[in-house]
This record gives sequence, structure tokens and C-alpha cells, in this order.
Amino acid sequence: MGSRASTLLREEEIEEMKKETGFSHSQITRLYSRFTSLDKGENGTLSREDFQRIPELAINPLGDRIINAFFPEGEDQVNFRGFMRTLAHFRPIEDNEKNKDPTVSEPLNSRTNKLLFAFRLYDLDRDDKISRDELLQVLRMMVGVNISDEQLGSIADRTIQEADQNGDNSISFNEFIKVLEKVDVEQKMSIRFLH
Amino acid sequence: MPPRKKNDLSIKMADDDAKRRAGKRRAKPNQRARGRKAKQSEEEEDEEEEEDETPRRKVRSKKAKPQDSEDEEEEKGVKRKGTNAVGRKKKAAKEESEEESEEEVRGKKKKGGKVTSKDQKEEHNHEKKGTSKGKGGKDKGNDKHKDKDESPDEDDSEEEDSLSEGEMAALKEEVEEKKKMIATLRNKPWRLKRRLQNLKECQAFVEKFEGALGKGKGRKLYAYKVMMAKKMIKFHRDFDNFKTACIPWERKIKEVESHFGSSVASYFLFLRWMFGLNMVLFGFMFGLVVLPEVMMGLPYGSIPRKVVPTADQSTAMDYSVLLDFGGYFQYSVLFYGYYNDARTIGVFKFRLPLSYLLVGVGIFGYSLMVVIRMMARNSNEGGDGGDEGQFTFSFKMFTSWDYLIGNPETADNKFASVTTSFKESIVDEQENQKDENIHLRRFLRVLANFLILCCLGGSGFLIYYVVKQSQENAKKDENTLTWFEQNEVDVVMSLLGLVCPPLFETIAELEEYHPRDALKWQLGRIFALFLGNLYTFLFALFDEVNAKLEEEKAIKNATLWNRNEYYANYSSFYNTTDVPPLEIAPSDVTRGPCWETSVGVAFMKLTVNDIEVTYITILIGDFFRAVIVRFLNYCWCWDLEAGFPSYGEFDISGNVLGLIFNQGMIWMGAFFSPGLVGLNILRLISSMYFQCWAVMATNVPHERVFKASKSNNFYMGLLLMVLFLSLLPVIYIIMTMPPSFDCGPFSGREKMYDVIMETLAELPTFIGNIVGYATNPGLILSAVLLMVLAIYYLNVTSKNYENANLELRKKMQMARDEEKNRRNNKETTNQSQQYLEDLMPNRSLIPPPVVEEPPPGGRLDRPGDRLQGRGGAEGGADLPLDAK
Repeated sequence: MGSRASTLLREEEIEEMKKETGFSHSQITRLYSRFTSLDKGENGTLSREDFQRIPELAINPLGDRIINAFFPEGEDQVNFRGFMRTLAHFRPIEDNEKNKDPTVSEPLNSRTNKLLFAFRLYDLDRDDKISRDELLQVLRMMVGVNISDEQLGSIADRTIQEADQNGDNSISFNEFIKVLEKVDVEQKMSIRFLH
Repeated sequence: MPPRKKNDLSIKMADDDAKRRAGKRRAKPNQRARGRKAKQSEEEEDEEEEEDETPRRKVRSKKAKPQDSEDEEEEKGVKRKGTNAVGRKKKAAKEESEEESEEEVRGKKKKGGKVTSKDQKEEHNHEKKGTSKGKGGKDKGNDKHKDKDESPDEDDSEEEDSLSEGEMAALKEEVEEKKKMIATLRNKPWRLKRRLQNLKECQAFVEKFEGALGKGKGRKLYAYKVMMAKKMIKFHRDFDNFKTACIPWERKIKEVESHFGSSVASYFLFLRWMFGLNMVLFGFMFGLVVLPEVMMGLPYGSIPRKVVPTADQSTAMDYSVLLDFGGYFQYSVLFYGYYNDARTIGVFKFRLPLSYLLVGVGIFGYSLMVVIRMMARNSNEGGDGGDEGQFTFSFKMFTSWDYLIGNPETADNKFASVTTSFKESIVDEQENQKDENIHLRRFLRVLANFLILCCLGGSGFLIYYVVKQSQENAKKDENTLTWFEQNEVDVVMSLLGLVCPPLFETIAELEEYHPRDALKWQLGRIFALFLGNLYTFLFALFDEVNAKLEEEKAIKNATLWNRNEYYANYSSFYNTTDVPPLEIAPSDVTRGPCWETSVGVAFMKLTVNDIEVTYITILIGDFFRAVIVRFLNYCWCWDLEAGFPSYGEFDISGNVLGLIFNQGMIWMGAFFSPGLVGLNILRLISSMYFQCWAVMATNVPHERVFKASKSNNFYMGLLLMVLFLSLLPVIYIIMTMPPSFDCGPFSGREKMYDVIMETLAELPTFIGNIVGYATNPGLILSAVLLMVLAIYYLNVTSKNYENANLELRKKMQMARDEEKNRRNNKETTNQSQQYLEDLMPNRSLIPPPVVEEPPPGGRLDRPGDRLQGRGGAEGGADLPLDAK
């Protein structure tokens, strides 16, 4: 396994990934071994079924949406680069990253990018707006059949009413940011990757 | 490991690696990376990159320690290397792969670690900070070491060294710079705030890196400091976990909460709080009264009060007698009568009577303090929920799921709780949006209150009448009375308790309050009804006490007379004044009825009765009902589960009031029966388990699950009232009633509080003087006056703060609305410009605003209208917050 991890992962690739995602070398190799252990088909890519085997995702009502976030539009395989790119959203923000000068392009784990990731979970059709229907679908996933459609509808309406600021009956990304202004996203959307 | 193909570069890399590992153990990957980078980009290392490097270096440190042994092995390998360059390369490659595989194994082990909690993450960040500091120092030392070691492949190592040297130099320079900055900060023409901020930053930086750069002792000290910091953090985390694990029944309550909502959980939280309070009371009682008496007091059977009378001894162990707390129970530490009146006991001269009195009063003092402090804290907490009202549903929608849940059972609970919380919000929401016929509602509410007042008045009169009747009956001969006449009071009371609560509930439906408010009303009304219960009980008790007192007086006189007779007879018979004391076995001595013990027994019996009734009600009303509904449903005409009997709902108001009144009994009875508090502890524990089980197994969630108000202050208020009510009779008894002459710690004294006087008399005189002054009516009056003034003043200030708070909240709301308005109007206000933009083809991909046709005026109005409507709705949404 170990030999495979290092043979399949070329140093240049690791370098590029380090630059792109900010992970350290050992984190990348570690995650690579995780990646290969998830990869039951052993073809260097992960399919949706591979993700479904993770218990945390399997029982998560939004698990499907999270899994979707790993896959680029219209594909059902994700390679290690894509896998890392998605995971990079969850890298904790480190102290010395906070006060970097803004000219450098924002890293994947910035607050905005974290929020964007969360936003995409709800934005099913990727039109950069969360509409009422999309909210309803997500709600349905979250509460099952315990609450009537009518009530779910009113919840969705209220949610939009609360968050919507420009009156277009949907939640744009900016409005989404506004809603979660007080939530410590940097903290909550971070995973402690092992080094 | 199979031999592998590797391109030149990677072999070189491995080579580099091996060397580096030989020299310095930590920070391998980064160094490796850096080395290569250098080759490729010819030493272009600016500060920016250095900044980058540091965190990455931190990264290795965690693993570094356990690797030591492995490293040593490698070192040996490296020593051999000098002889055979080719072999060395191969070996190095091998080693690398080995290490890689080890890493992998370790990674696998730690996979579980990915599922970490938030605070762990946070903690980890701290940790990293710490390790990074240590890192720098080690690196440096290792670099030096390597300098001497490595002669072959000079170019590689040189590059490396210069790199890290450069890095070190830069770091040093920076530290120096910062130091200079600190020194010269005073002269900088900045504002104080900025200066302070700068100073802090610089100091932090210097602190962080200077230790790392230092040599020898400084570095060791530094490493030690870092290690200690890490240990501390770990300890804190463990301690926090431990603290959470120590909260009793947390899991049980959470489970109930997730299925039944916060309202049912609030009962269990209250129960747990009560348990805590009772544990403290038990500690007082047991530690200061019961234990000293058992350890140091006279043993059982030594004096009359400590032994079962001869007449009762044959039945003293009978089960039925013991069940009524007679026999051996009655003459044990459980009750007042057992305690001796000796002023001090044991070698420590423990003043038991004094301690008994102080604990009896102290229980009330402590309870009052705790209840009031709890209420104050609750009202604080209730106050600052201000801005949660803005995005209730959005928050629930976007943030309710806990993504770290990996256990299916937990997931089920979480599902349930998400659903419940949505339901709760829906109920709140419906209440707010109900557009109602205000006049009808008001009329109905007044009517309902009127009806309930009639009920309460009627039952009050009934109770009064029955009590009076029973007092008259008591004077008659017992044999002429019928069973009903004997038990009139009990029968009426239980009938009222059975009929009234459902009646109130039915009437309350007229009012259509929010369920939360309805619960409060219901609680208040039943509370009023129960007060009648209390009243009758106390009445009966005082009657009994008075009767006992009469009896006691008679016996006391008779005993004294008997003794005098004996002395007189003895001296006249033997014609001597040296009369030997009367020889009677302690159990044969005639003794008074000891009314305190009988009061204690009454409370004990009442409590046991209450426990039985509660448990049996749960067993029959909930459990059997559930069993019948569940299993008879297979063969019944209609759907039992959905139709008539259905499953029971958890009766919050009944249970809460039961708990409160039970506690009142404990408070009242504890003075007469020290064992009562212990019994109550058992009751609370068993009822926690039993009711948790019952509610999960047999009950269904309420039809309208509602969110309990954050503060339990209503419960607390009722509790405070009961506490006060139970305090009155006890204090009255202590201050006015004469204690029994032959039992209990105060026997032989005129009043119970004489114990205090005795103690004061023993103290030096000046203390007695001080107490004398302090009890001077003039002083007391002025103190009371002062307190009243203070209360008035504090009350006024708090009102003012409240108003200011309200004002601020309003302002915030307005500001928010305004902002919304402004945003919305942006599109419409600069219309002319928008028209122009519209004219241009392909202006943008965003579709033009929806409103287009209507004339400008109408257009201006529309969003405003909509906004106003929204604002109104939100204003409504904020209401429940205020209500809380």
C-alpha cells in the first residue's frame, strides 16, 4: 500500500497540490492513502458508491449533496486532485494565513470559499440562488415525512422571507453570507487533518 | 518492497532525504521540498515563502517524537553509506519506502481521528502554534550538526544549509527588528491604541521566536515551556470531557428532549436540579445531625427516648407497623424524638441541639438562596436572546445538522430533534400569524377565567366546609361515625384533585393561548387548588399537635407527681433523706406522646404515599394503557392508536406540581424527621429512571410540540412560593410551641430557640452584649427601613435598564428594516439610469428587474408595500422573544 501511495503520487503532483490546496506533504500522502482505501474499484478514481460507504455520509440527510460537491458538473468519477480540491475547503485557517495581503488569490479554505461550499449544498441547480423549491427538497431530506407539505412550505417561505433582501424570493450567495454572519464558519467548517 | 522504477529526480530526492534524516530528524518533507525547489528555482527565497514554510514545518513535529527509534536505525545505515555510494542510494530509497509504508499504517490508525469535534480543532490550532516554536530551535541545532557531518555531496547540503541559514538569519533579523520596535515604540507618533496593539504583536512575536532561536539553556527552558503548555491544553480538554461526563443523566434527558421536545425535557431538567438541591440538604442533615448522633450519641436502649416502649415491643418489628414508620423506625435517628438533649456530645463536645436547630433553619436559608439565585440567573439568560429572532428558520435550515455524527442511533435522535425543533418553530409561527377576532378572544378569555375562578371558589368553600365538619365530628365519639364521616376530608380532596385539573384544561381551550402560556396558566390554577390541599393538611396537623400537647401536659404532671410521691413515700417509709433514684428499665418509663415525632411520621407517611400514588398512576395510566392500545389494536372495532384511548401524553403540569409540592413536604418535614431528606433523594433518583423509561416507552409527543421558555422561572417561582409557605409553619413552631419534655434535642427547654440563648450565655460577655444591641427593636427597625429603600432603589434602576434595553432593541430592529428598505429601493430609485441600461443590448446576463410596466409611482410603492408587510410579520416574529 505504502509503495503504491508513493509510486502513484508523483512529486510534481504533490508540489502542485501543495500550492493549490495548502496541505502539507504528509497530509497529502496520508489523504492519498485514505483515497486509495476508499477506492474499491482500484482505478484511481472514486465513484458515488465509494463515498456512500462512509457512515457519516450515509446517515447524513444531506449526504447526497455533500457527495455531489465532490464531483465536477456532469461527471461521476473524481480523481485525487479533485478530491483534494474539495477537501481543501475544510482545511482550518491558520493564524498566519489570516493577515496575508489581499493581492494573492484567496485560498480554498477562506471564509468565503467555505461558505460558498455550504451554499452549493443547497443550490441544487447551481444557478447561484437558493429557490423555494430547493429549500423544500433539502427540508424534505432533513425531516422525512414527519411534517406535512404545507408546513414545510411555510417553513421554506419563512426562511426565504428572513434571508431575502432584494425581494426576488430566493437566497443569493450574498444574502446567505449575511445570514451566517454571526456563525463561526472558519471554526465549524474545518476538519483537523492529520499531519 | 518490490524494486521500482524511479526517474533520476526522485532517486536524488530519496538520496537527499536519507542524508537529511541522518542529520536532522524532523521537518523532513518540507526540507525535501525546499531542497528541490531550490534546485529548480535557484534560491529564490523571499520572506513570503518563509512565512509559508513555518506552518508546514510545524506539521511534522507531531509525528516526530515517536519516530526517534526509527531514526536511530537510519543513522546507523547512513554511517555505512560513506563506503558505498551506490548501495547507499539504493538503501536510501528502500528506507524511504519503508518509512512511507509506516506512515501509511499510522495514517490508517488515525483515520478515525478525522472525525473530531470542534473544540479539538481549536485546541489543535493552539497546539500547532506551540510546536512551531519548538521546531525552529531544533531545526537550527540540527543544521549545525549536519554541517560537520556531511562532506560528500557538498553542493546539495550547502544549498540546504544556506537556505536554512538564510531563513534563520531572516528570522533573527525580524526578531531584532521587533525588539527595536518595542524599544522605540514610545517615540512613535501614533495613537495610544495603535501603539498598544503594536506592542502586543511585537511582544508576542519575540516571545514566539526568540526562545526558538536561543541556544543551550534558553532553548531547553523553552522546549520545556512548550511541552508544559501542550500538557496543560490536553489536561484542560480531558478535564472538560470529564466534567461533561459527570453531569448526571445528561444522555437520558437529551434523548427525551430529542423525541418529546424541550417542554417535556424541562420537567426532567427541573427534576435534576431538584436532585442537586436535595443532595446538598441531605449533606447538611446527614453530616451535621445524623452522623454525630450515631457516632457520638448514646446508643440505642440507653435512655427512655431511645428505646421502643415495652407495650409496643411485641409488634415493633411487624411489617405493617414498620410500613407506617412505627416500631423500631419511630425510635430511630430518622425522627426528632430519638435525639438527646445533652448540651454537648462526644469527645469533640459537639453541640448537637444547637446544630440541629441551625441545620433546620439553615435548610430553609440555603434553599431560599439557591432558588432566588437560580431565578436571577435565569432571567439574565432569558434577556439576551435578542438577535436570534432574526433568522430563526434560516439557522435551523442551514445549521441544524451535526455533520460529525457517525452513529446511526445518534443520527436517529438528531433526526427526531431536528424535526421537533421545526415543529416547535411552526407552533410559534402559527401563534404569531394568527389573525384573530380580538374582541371574541378577549371575551372568551374573561369567560374562561371567570369559570375557573368559580370552580376554585367552589372547591375552596367545599374544603373549608369539610374541614369544619370534620373538626366537629372529631369531638364526637369515633364509633358513632360512618366511614365517610371519618374520611370526609381525604375523599373530598382526592375527588377535587381528580376532577378539577381536566376541567381546567377543558375550560382553558376556550382561551386559545400559545401552549406555553397555556401550560403556565394551567400550572397556576392547579397550584391554587393544591394550596387548599396544603391548608387542610396543616389544619389537621395543628389540631393533632394541640391535642398531643394537652395530653403531654397531663402526662408530664402525672409523672412529676408520681416521682414526688415516690420520694415522699420513700423518705417517710425509710425515714431518710438519702433517697436512691428510681430503678426503672428505660423502656418501661412512662413517656409523653412526643408530638414532634408524630408530625415527622405524618410527613414521612405522606411522602411514601405520594411516591406510591405517582408510580401506580404511571403504571396504570400510561403503561397499561399503552399495552392495551398497542396489543388490543389487532382485534378491535376501531383504531385504538389513532382513535379514542390512544397513547398518553406526558402530563407536564401535573408532574411539575407534584414535584414542587413534594418538595414543600420535605422542607416542612425535614425539621421533624431528619431521615426525610434521605428518603426524598431515593425518590428523586428512582423517579428519574422510572419516568424517563415511562416517557420513552409509553407516551407519545404532544400534539403541538412547543418550545419551553428558556428560563424555568415559572417553575422556580412556584417553588419559591411553596418554600415560603412551608417555611411559615416551621418557623412558627420553632418560635412559639413548647417542645416535648421528654424527647428530642430541645426537651426540658421552654422554647426551641432557647438553645441559642444558652450558647450565647456561654460565650464571652461582650458577644452577648453585641447580640443584645443587634436585637434592639430600634436597630432592627432602621435596618428594615434601609432594606426597603435599597429594594426600591434597585427596582427603579432595573426598570430603567429594562426600558433602555427595549429602546435599543427597537432601534436595532429599525436599523435593520431601514437597511432592507434601502437595498430594495436601490433598484427602483435610480430608474432613469436603469431605463438607459435597459436600452442597451446585452447589458448583462442578469435578467432585468421583474417590475417593468406600471407607471413610476406605482412602481415606487410596490416594493415598499411588500416590505412593510414583511416588516410587520417580523415584528410579530419577535414577539415571542419578548414574551420569553
